[in-house]
Amino acid sequence: MIMDREPLVRFEHLTRRFGELAAVSDVSLDIRAGEVLALLGENGAGKSTLMKLLYGIHPPSAGRILLDGRESPIRGPADAMRNGIGMVFQHFSLLPALSVRDNLLAAWPATPAYIGRRSKRAARVLDRLSVIAPDIDPERRVDTLSVGEQQLVELCKVVNLEARVVILDEPTSVLTPAEAQRLYDFVLRLAAEGRAVVLITHKLADVEACADRIAVMRGGMLVADFAKGERTTAETVALMMGRPAATAEPAPDRFAGRPARLVLREITASAAGHVLKGISLEIAGGEVLGIAGVAGNGQTLLAEVVAGVEAPSGGDVLLDGESIARRGDEPHATPIGYIPEQPRDNAVVETMDLSANLRLRALAAGEADGAYDVAALIRRFNIAPSEPTRRAGTLSGGNLQKLVAARELGVPRPAVLACYPTMGLDLGAVGTVYEAMFAQAAAGAAVLWISEDLDDLLARAHRIAVMRGGAIVALVENDGTLTRDRLGAFMTGAPAEAAA
Amino acid sequence: MSAREGWITFAATLAAFLMLSAIFFLLLGKPPLEMGLSLVEFAFGDAYSLSETLAKASPILFCALAVAVPGRLGLISVGAEGQLYIGAITGTALVLGFPELPPLAMIPLMLAAAALGGAAWGLVPGLLRARLDINETIVTLILNYCAVLFASALVFGPWRDPANQGWPATAPFPPAAVPPAVDGKVHLGLLIGVLLALALHVFFTRGRAAVHIRILAGNRKVGRTFGLDFAFWVTALMATGGAIAGIGGIIEVAAIQGRLQPSISLGYGLTGFLVSWLARHRPLVILPIALLVGGLLAGSDALQLFAKVPAASATILEGLLFATALAVPGLIARWRRSDGN
Ligand SMILES: Nc1ncnc2c1ncn2[C@@H]1O[C@H](COP(=O)(O)OP(=O)(O)OP(=O)(O)O)[C@@H](O)[C@H]1O
Ligand SMILES: [Mg+2]
Repeated sequence: MIMDREPLVRFEHLTRRFGELAAVSDVSLDIRAGEVLALLGENGAGKSTLMKLLYGIHPPSAGRILLDGRESPIRGPADAMRNGIGMVFQHFSLLPALSVRDNLLAAWPATPAYIGRRSKRAARVLDRLSVIAPDIDPERRVDTLSVGEQQLVELCKVVNLEARVVILDEPTSVLTPAEAQRLYDFVLRLAAEGRAVVLITHKLADVEACADRIAVMRGGMLVADFAKGERTTAETVALMMGRPAATAEPAPDRFAGRPARLVLREITASAAGHVLKGISLEIAGGEVLGIAGVAGNGQTLLAEVVAGVEAPSGGDVLLDGESIARRGDEPHATPIGYIPEQPRDNAVVETMDLSANLRLRALAAGEADGAYDVAALIRRFNIAPSEPTRRAGTLSGGNLQKLVAARELGVPRPAVLACYPTMGLDLGAVGTVYEAMFAQAAAGAAVLWISEDLDDLLARAHRIAVMRGGAIVALVENDGTLTRDRLGAFMTGAPAEAAA
Repeated sequence: MSAREGWITFAATLAAFLMLSAIFFLLLGKPPLEMGLSLVEFAFGDAYSLSETLAKASPILFCALAVAVPGRLGLISVGAEGQLYIGAITGTALVLGFPELPPLAMIPLMLAAAALGGAAWGLVPGLLRARLDINETIVTLILNYCAVLFASALVFGPWRDPANQGWPATAPFPPAAVPPAVDGKVHLGLLIGVLLALALHVFFTRGRAAVHIRILAGNRKVGRTFGLDFAFWVTALMATGGAIAGIGGIIEVAAIQGRLQPSISLGYGLTGFLVSWLARHRPLVILPIALLVGGLLAGSDALQLFAKVPAASATILEGLLFATALAVPGLIARWRRSDGN
C-alpha cells in the first residue's frame, strides 16, 4: 500500500445531478497507484455514476476531478483512454458479430490501418487474453460467448490500453468461482505493476480477495473510506445498508412432493454456436429445481426454449400438460414468469417508463392490467428511484434487475424460470428476490432456477441438475449430503459414477 | 426535454439558420435582409405564393409520412422516392387503361391503384426484413433506382404519347382524373395528406397497436417474449408507408403535372426523409415542417426568377436548414453539459 504518494485521481466535492436527483453528492475521494479500491454500496448508491464522471461519460454538476494533481482534461471516453483510464462497464460494449480477436484489435490504439491474419503485432493483443481467459478461442464470435466470457474479453480490452487506472464495474457478478479467482490474481498483478484498480462490487468475497481500501457509498454520498481490516465485515455491511444486515436467509419450504407441472421433454435445439442434446426434466408444483453449470454450456439456449423465445428443433415443453413451446415464427407469449440474463437487453424496454415496464405483459396481451399494482410492486421490491413515470433506461443496473424480478415474480405464476436472478443485486435486494421466488413455489409454482453460484444452489434448491455440453449430466436430490466438490466434478466432467 | 428547453432550441435553431442564410446571400453579393424578406414574401406573402408553397409542401408531406410510419418501429426507410414513382406509375396505368371513367370513380380508383403500387414497393423490403433480416435501408435505396428507371422506360417507350413528337411523356390525363382544386394548386391531395397525418397521429399514440409498436421499437426481443409479432408489423408498416408515398406520387402527377413524365420528383423523397427525422417521426410535427420546407423551396424558386440568385439556392438553403436543425440541438446539449447542467 502506498499511502504517502500523490494520488493518481482525486475527487473534490463532486456532485452529479440528473434533474432533481443527486446521483453523486459531494464526494471527495482519492484513487492511488498500486492500490485496489473496492467501491461498495446499495443498488442506486451512485457507484457507476461516480466512475462515469471520471471516465467522462457525464460531466460533474459541481466539484472537480484532479488527475496527477491537475484539473482533469477528460471530456469523453476517448480522452479517458488517452489519459490512461480504462473502464469495464456493467453493460458491455463488444461488437457481437466480430470475433474476440477483432474486438480486441478494434479497441487497441496501436492497431495499424491494415493488419493481416497472422501478423505478429496482432498476436500481441491476445497476450493478455491468454492470461485472463486461456479457454477462450480468439477466433470465436463474441455472440457465442457466455456473459462471463464476454466480461473477461472486456477486461482484456481495457487492460490492453495499458491503463494506469482500471475501473471494473461489478466484474464478478457473472463469473464462475474459477473465473473469479483468475480475475483476483489478475487484479492483484495490475496493482503490483503500480496501476490503480477500482473494483465496484456487491460481493464481500471480492473485497476479501483483493481490496486494499474500501469506500462505501449510500444515497449518492461517500459514507466511509477506510483500509481493509479497519472494520469488520458486519460493520461494512451495516455501512452499506444503513442498518445491520438481516440474519434470516430466505429458503423455500420443504418440498411436499406434488405432481409434475413443468415438463421438459427431450428438447433439442441449436442456435448461435450452442446446442441442446435431448434435455428432459420434470419440475413439480412447489419445487425449486436448480440448474448448475459453467455458463456457455447451453443454459441460455435452454432458457430461451423454455420461455418460448426460441423454437426447439425437437421435443416439447409442457405446462400442466399443455405445450408451451414456440413453433416456428408464430407469435407466442410465454405464460411463465421469466427472468432472462442481461435484463437490459432481454427484459426491459428502456424507452418506456417503470409503470409500463411493470405492466408490460398485460400491455402486450392487450389485457386489463389490474393484476399489476405498480406502486405496490415498486415498494415491495424497493425499486429506486420510485416514480412510476421514470424512464426505465435511467435505472441503475441493480434496480433494473429488481424491476424485472418485480414484474415476473410479483404476481402469481404457474411456473417460474429465473436465470441468475440476483445478478448485480445488493444484499438486501438478493433477499427480496429470493423470498419472492420461493413464495411462488410455496403458492404452487414450478420453479426452474439457473445459476452458477453453487453455494446458493446448495443452500436453497430442492434438486439440482448439472448441465454440460448441452446435456443434463446429473440430476441429484439436494438432501444435505451434496457437496460443492461433487457438483463441481459434474460441471467439469469428472466421471458420472463419482456421484453415485 | 421540457417545453421551455424546446422553445430555446427552436429559437436558437432559427437564429442560426437566419445567420447562415445571411452569410450565403452576402457571398452571392446580395443584401441579406432584403433577400430574406422577399423569400418570406414569395413563400407566404399572398394567395398565389401560398398556393405555390402548398403545392411544394404536398409531396414532401407524403414522403415524410411514408418515412415516419416504418420509422415508428425503428426502421430506416429511404424508399419514399421510389414508392412515389411506383404510385405514380400504377395510378397512371389505371388512368391510361380506363380513360372513360366518370370523375367520381376515377379519382378514388386512381388513388387506390397508386396506393397499391406504392404498398407493393414497400412490401418487398418489408418482407425481406421480416423473413430474412435483410437491411431495409439498403433495399429501399436500391428499389428507388429501379422505380425511377422503370418510370423512364415507360414514358420513353410504350407509354409515350405519339402526339408529343418525341417528348417523353404520356398523354395528358383526362379532366376526370385531375383532383379538384380550389385555387390553382391547392388541391384535394393536400387535404388527404393532412387527414392522413392526423389519422397517423391517433394511430401511433392511442390504442393497443400504438403500445405494441412502441414495445417492439424499444426492444424487439422483449416484444417477442411476450407474443408480439415483429414480422407482421415490419411488413404492415413498410407497406403502409409505401402506400402513402404512392398516393403522394399520383397526386403530384395528376394535380400538378397533368401527365406522367420521367422526372416527377425534385428529390422529394430525400427531403421527406429529412423532414421525418427532424420531426422524430411525429406526424403532427411533420405538418408544419413540411409547410416550412415547401415555403423555402417555393420562395427560393421565385427569388431565382426575380432576384437572379442561382438555381441551386433552393437546395443550398434547404441544406442549411437541415444542417442547423440537426446540429443546433446537439450543440446546445453539449454546451449545457460543459456548463455543468
Ligand atoms: N442517465 C441517467 N439519467 C437519470 N438518472 C440516472 C442516470 N444514470 C443514473 N441515474 C440514477 O442515478 C442513481 C445512481 O445510479 P448508479 O448507476 O450510479 O448506481 P449504482 O450504485 O451503480 O447501482 P447498481 O449497484 O445498481 O449498479 C440511480 O438512482 C439512477 O437511477
Ligand atoms: Mg452500477
